[in-house]
Amino acid sequence: MNRRDFLKGASLGVGAGALGAMGLYSYTPLRRAFLPDIDRKMTDFGVCKSVKVTNISETSWFDNTIFMQNVTGAGGLLVDQYTFNWPPFGNGKGIGKGTYEEGIALIKPCLDKGDLHGAWEIAREKSVNADNAGGFACLVEIEDLEGSKTKYLFDCGWSYDWMDESFKREGIDRMLANGEIAALILTHEHMDHYWGFPVVAKYAPDLPIYTPSTFYPQGKQYIKDAGHRGKWTEVTRGLHPIQPGAALYMFECPIIFKVFGETSLYCNVKDVGLVSITGCCHQGIILFADTAYKELRYEKDKFYGLYGGLHISPFDDWDPKYDDLVIGLKKWEIERVGCNHCTGLITAQKFVDAGYPVVKGTARFRSKTVNYLGNGDTIAFPA
Amino acid sequence: MAHEALTYLEERKLVKRWGGPLPALVNLAFTLAIFAVTWWIFQDPRGVMRLYTPYLGYNYCRWWLIILIWMAYTFDFWPFKRNWVRNAHPLQKGLVLSLVSVGTMLFFIHGFFEGVLGNFAFAYFNPKQLMKLGLTEFYSTEYAAQACMMFAVIASWLSPAWVVALEGQPWADDRQPVRGFSIWLGTFCLSLVIYFMTMHNHMGILYYPWQYFTSICPPYWEQFAETVSANFHVAWIMCCTVVVWFVEGIWERYPFTMIRRDWPRRIALFVGIIVVAWALCLFFWYMQELVWGDAIRGHRRDAAPDWRWLHVGETAIFFLVPALFLQFYCGNWPNRFSTPVNVLIRSLIVVAGGVAVYCLYYMYAHFLLGTQKGFSHPQQFPMIPMIWLIDIWLINWWFMDGWPGWRREFKTDEELAEERRHIEVNHAWTPGMGSGLAVGLGAGVAAYFFIVWLLPLCSATFTLVK
Repeated sequence: MNRRDFLKGASLGVGAGALGAMGLYSYTPLRRAFLPDIDRKMTDFGVCKSVKVTNISETSWFDNTIFMQNVTGAGGLLVDQYTFNWPPFGNGKGIGKGTYEEGIALIKPCLDKGDLHGAWEIAREKSVNADNAGGFACLVEIEDLEGSKTKYLFDCGWSYDWMDESFKREGIDRMLANGEIAALILTHEHMDHYWGFPVVAKYAPDLPIYTPSTFYPQGKQYIKDAGHRGKWTEVTRGLHPIQPGAALYMFECPIIFKVFGETSLYCNVKDVGLVSITGCCHQGIILFADTAYKELRYEKDKFYGLYGGLHISPFDDWDPKYDDLVIGLKKWEIERVGCNHCTGLITAQKFVDAGYPVVKGTARFRSKTVNYLGNGDTIAFPA
Repeated sequence: MAHEALTYLEERKLVKRWGGPLPALVNLAFTLAIFAVTWWIFQDPRGVMRLYTPYLGYNYCRWWLIILIWMAYTFDFWPFKRNWVRNAHPLQKGLVLSLVSVGTMLFFIHGFFEGVLGNFAFAYFNPKQLMKLGLTEFYSTEYAAQACMMFAVIASWLSPAWVVALEGQPWADDRQPVRGFSIWLGTFCLSLVIYFMTMHNHMGILYYPWQYFTSICPPYWEQFAETVSANFHVAWIMCCTVVVWFVEGIWERYPFTMIRRDWPRRIALFVGIIVVAWALCLFFWYMQELVWGDAIRGHRRDAAPDWRWLHVGETAIFFLVPALFLQFYCGNWPNRFSTPVNVLIRSLIVVAGGVAVYCLYYMYAHFLLGTQKGFSHPQQFPMIPMIWLIDIWLINWWFMDGWPGWRREFKTDEELAEERRHIEVNHAWTPGMGSGLAVGLGAGVAAYFFIVWLLPLCSATFTLVK
């Protein structure tokens, strides 16, 4: 045997063999032999009796065209949100040229005095399109098996003026001041979920708060600058029970505007199933559901209900992959869906068209469609 | 010695100005510096023009690539006179040809696709037409750029494949510009046909309700690919693009050059590129299943089938970067062994290099390039910086003759004859290779299953994005 010829043939064969195996094996049913079976952890986090959600505000911004003009002007969806010159951190230098430090310095004296309207007036002058800001926040009431209810504020919106008005409309200001609310859960660092924080701090500076551990230094500083004095829990990746039948889950996912990580809430409702409550659900509702399936034990092994912004077509955009979601959601057989905010008007309509059990709203207080569970609307699990 | 019958890239010989690895290091530093400056000016989300989103920068870098290929491979630098191409200073050539390529790119994107097709045929090519339909400016721009870019994806496979595999036939013997226009028109028309069958359906379901009357909805690939997104086609077409350059560069068109008869060789090479690309495509998909688990339809992140297919194409591009670096700046090292052994060693180097570039990208890109951290952010496109860098390398190597590390000379008749003899002798099948081939096939299959076994272990052991 000629050694040189053998090596030539062997070299050719290695390439052909590897490429052949890649082509003939990698997408066949046989490949599953190397894929691990799903090992369900079935973590028990207790049960609760019921969950009620009151939507305080789902209108994060009022005019999508203006919002997207801001995004275009600042340089796109990956630009750091603190540099947009959005309120309240405007510095007067124009779109895409802001910083947290310059912005907070302008409004800090007002924040220290509790004059949030004054702070917002400054922000309106120095920021871009301040009147377009709204915010997302809801009140989650969890009833335990003995009938006692615990209230959580779930996000705190964006515009000081709008959120104060919305809080007053739903009586949240009074609940905060009276200590009726157990904690504020901040799902993620986005402006429309978080930058209204001083409104909460004004009424309840000692309120315990939960944030994802992935907040940027500016976001962490804002908690202090807003005058918060209460307990602050940073939720790290994974499960974080807050009471029997309710647990936060932090997903380490990259998000637009440079934000990272989002926390959502799972509730295990007795004799009904799992209810999932989200702020924006940037992790995606299928991952949200699939994580519960792999990690948690819940009643009847049933994914019963879903509430929140589902972040599918938040800017009234569309992509065929969103159709995959509309099609793929069917297998979870969810019985009650309350969607709004960043779900997207087209998505909500497609959900309705696909026959999903979308709980309709009333389209009041600047909410745009009855397909959304809008501002001032409530949803209960079980119905 | 100049040869009129050869293309400029075939007749030239690039010679290192200095010994050792210095030329490669100097050119790497030079091109990376250009990359850094231009990235900051044009692409970086923290930079000047911030074209990274909504797809504008993506569209430009994809189209720039195909324009560079057309200029060098299809048109052989026509309409520039051969004498100027041979003798102009590399910096002068680089500047002039780059500006021409950018102008041509802008003409095709904004003139032909946006202006002509977008106004008289398909609304989705023109942002202004989409805005008239009520879309925001941002998404009108993104959709139009995506539609236009998808054509470039196809053309960047077919145009070089026609020259590399089909050897420019049946127009290879024509003079420029007849040869160039014939190949260009042929591949352009073929790209349009494939566009209609792969990407048009994607655009048809981009709107509510689905555009049933103008495109097949849901598309025919839905069940196979677990998605209605055309990212499925981006996956295998990107692999085709990458394999064309593997074949042309580190593989020296081997083993197809063992086929002596012209047309069987050309057809085998053209089809072979597609077959190898599909093998890689399916394996890159399987890699993701092994590392991240099953794809889940409707998922928004790393389990989403549409993203997994896109990531197949992205993964392929990660391997093209070291392949081109090896070919251009390392003299297609090694060359001392027989061709199959050289090809195998180069392939292994490219595999190692591709894995390294992949890891480095996901560990550091969010610091260096201003992109988002993590694998599967919907606006995270590693193809943009990879292709941007490749564009710069192509300009440096094709337009600037490898300046500053290399200087241009011409191959002598003896050297050209030696090239032909090398192919005849070294790219030949001999019966003595049979037993080695059989053993190699077994080893290749074993290597495949070793990687399949290894990937989940690596996934469980290492965390790239912290």
